[in-house]
Amino acid sequence: MMFNLDKKDFDHFLKDLLETHDLFAPVQLTEGVSVFKKIDNPGEVSLSQLVPQKSAKEVFFPQSEVMFRYQIAGNQGPTVSEQKIERERILLGARPCDIEAISIIEKVFTGEDYTDVYFAEKRKRTTIIGLGCNHPLSTCFCSSTGGGPFNRAGSDLFFTDLGDAYFVELLTEKGMAFRVNKFFKEADSEDLGLMKEIEDKASQKVDRTVPVEGIEKRLDLMVESPFWDRAHEKCIGCGVCTFLCPTCHCFDITDEAVNQKGQRVRNWDSCLFPIYSLETSGHNPRPTGRERTRQRLMHKFNYYPKNFGRVACVGCGRCILYCPVQFDIREALVYASAKRGKGRKGKFK
Amino acid sequence: MVQQQLREKAKELLSNKTVDLIIGFGEWTLPLRTTPVFIRTPEGAKSLVWNSFCENNLTAYLHKFSRLKVGLVVKGCDARSVTALSLEKRFPNHPPLLIGIPCQRLVDRKKVKKAVKGEILQAVEQGDLLLVKGENFEVSLKREDFLYASCRSCAHRTPHQAHILIGDPVEEVSLVDAHPEVSKLEGMSPEERWSFFEKETSRCIRCYACREACPMCYCAECFVDSSRPRWIEKSLSPSDLAFYHIVRAFHQTGRCSGCGACERACPMDIRLTFLTQKLNQEVKDLYGFETGIQPEAAPPLSTFDPEDEQEFIK
Amino acid sequence: MGSEEHWEPKILAFLCNWCSYAGADLAGTSRVQYSPNIRVIRVPCSGRINPLFILKALQGGVDGVLVSGCHPGDCHYLSGNYAGRRKSATLKRFLEFLGIEQGRIQFSWVSAAEGVKFSQVVDEVTKDIRRLGPLKKFKKSSAFGVQSSES
Repeated sequence: MMFNLDKKDFDHFLKDLLETHDLFAPVQLTEGVSVFKKIDNPGEVSLSQLVPQKSAKEVFFPQSEVMFRYQIAGNQGPTVSEQKIERERILLGARPCDIEAISIIEKVFTGEDYTDVYFAEKRKRTTIIGLGCNHPLSTCFCSSTGGGPFNRAGSDLFFTDLGDAYFVELLTEKGMAFRVNKFFKEADSEDLGLMKEIEDKASQKVDRTVPVEGIEKRLDLMVESPFWDRAHEKCIGCGVCTFLCPTCHCFDITDEAVNQKGQRVRNWDSCLFPIYSLETSGHNPRPTGRERTRQRLMHKFNYYPKNFGRVACVGCGRCILYCPVQFDIREALVYASAKRGKGRKGKFK
Repeated sequence: MVQQQLREKAKELLSNKTVDLIIGFGEWTLPLRTTPVFIRTPEGAKSLVWNSFCENNLTAYLHKFSRLKVGLVVKGCDARSVTALSLEKRFPNHPPLLIGIPCQRLVDRKKVKKAVKGEILQAVEQGDLLLVKGENFEVSLKREDFLYASCRSCAHRTPHQAHILIGDPVEEVSLVDAHPEVSKLEGMSPEERWSFFEKETSRCIRCYACREACPMCYCAECFVDSSRPRWIEKSLSPSDLAFYHIVRAFHQTGRCSGCGACERACPMDIRLTFLTQKLNQEVKDLYGFETGIQPEAAPPLSTFDPEDEQEFIK
Repeated sequence: MGSEEHWEPKILAFLCNWCSYAGADLAGTSRVQYSPNIRVIRVPCSGRINPLFILKALQGGVDGVLVSGCHPGDCHYLSGNYAGRRKSATLKRFLEFLGIEQGRIQFSWVSAAEGVKFSQVVDEVTKDIRRLGPLKKFKKSSAFGVQSSES
């Protein structure tokens, strides 16, 4: 089903949603820095930054998440309080790459053998409103990794910015629940035409040439490649790329306790930190940046595809945009996928 | 041209095996940026560049290549970091060969991005101007208006400690108010200052890019990673974030060259240099010390004078 | 310490083993009275104080910190207190710049013979911190505030 939502009504539309739902959307923290956050009023929503620093994964898998709290009072023994989700949730303004990434994390967190209740509960109770990218960036390569600026997979509702209005598509059962809405007007063929035009234009802009196809097999042969000796050289070993990556999903669980009170928290972790793989004995199986850089790329383009049948990269370009030393994952892929021997292309030599 | 001279010099140093490796700046994929390059062959020297986007402090890489004879391309601030590290005996085997370039001061890419609407696809320097192009725009900006704050407050732009100097030295500047941000904060109440600090650090995602970009952060185990004792928790509580930033900055007392690499590395645009600038001011005020200026002067916190100021002690 | 009304300042004192700790001991054996608001941690030397100790204490719930060592020239290790003095001076200035109130962290020289001075220092520090009230900034709240997209 397709509707038209006038931008003048957008704030009212959000206000109505806030009555019944917890609403998560991009919020600008300071000029040029946005993250996904729970909002209290429509004015907080800021859709201007195409790729907010932190991705929408934070809505399902927060950087710091309290799993439970406990307290020992008197002689009663410990009391444990679990964290519950009170209301249905809406994720608004997530771009197709971020939504694709949620399905990538979902495969890990809600697998056949094991379900992570924290992620699964949030995922189950969230309706996703995707937003198409009219003006993809030069660092975007979603079309190379199986997506696209208007890829609707994973969205329950999908918005396209038509200028004065949003073109609204209801795509799933969850999405259809929103069909009765006083701000939605039936879309006409003109809206549809405009939407298609915007979509085509944007899709042509996105880089399709980043070689992802077959990368898994190539990397199989590259475990001991001298490539890694060079690739890691400029990496300073911070966690920017992994923390901002919408598909990275490693975490560390710690107990924070003072006296009789405490909480168990899980925090994002990064394979680029030496401490990530440090063992209690003092031995570190990934002792240098070489092994850690390899791990990052191998997990995305070799181990994950082996387990789940697709690469764990959605081409959002965050790791390129925000890397302090310009490690460009596209260049690494170009190098890795080129024929072995003399004909190697790319800037890694 | 500085860039041409740099390439020739690098080629020569690699050809006659004075050094094994040259760490400098090269072109890469994004506009307004350069990337660190690691050159091992004379032919490779042609990929070196020099422009207003050479923002990294390459001194940070010396820890990684301690077994090689390294030629390092340095600006004034970077060279001072090397001096500070030498004082800490970081180069027992091969002190780096410094290829110094008097610095024209660098362009703040985040500031430029804010000045235009739309994505920047190309940026070129032309004299005092910066030509910035995007899909639907083309503007020329005055380079002077878009310099990094840390560069504005830099008084020592020529790397005097360098073994080889490429280009003409720049005059030492004396600044009336070197750190306007620090002065501004000092005019505020303690409450206002704390809320400014807390607001900045609240954006921190603990990626530690500031730590890793800093040449002076080389501890085998950072206090944040220590589990015995555990100084600080790993979650994003405001208190832990403040804790991290206080200690990260304080560990730079008397060691910071003010290069600003920490702030540039931050993906969340957190103001960080005001912290280290304040500390730099303190050690100058209390102990007359400036990082990396006098190559023999002991770092202020590893020495003392019986006459040190102690009015604050009861 | 209970509610705000009955609030009493909680102060952590790091005393050097050779002078200030002995000074505190002398104050005790001489039956000199002083405010009961301090908790003492004995350290080998005031130069042993890692700024992390002070920050960890403030974060963990104390309202103020006192560091006390030997007078200049009296250090058991000859120069530990001189080295400590520089760390103290810079840290104090830095924390005050960030907005931690003046008086939250204090320093003193107290010799083994200065039991009376020790009691005076403790009383003064307690008075200062009582005037400042409970530390609110930087303290890790009992709620373990974790900031995330959840909150």
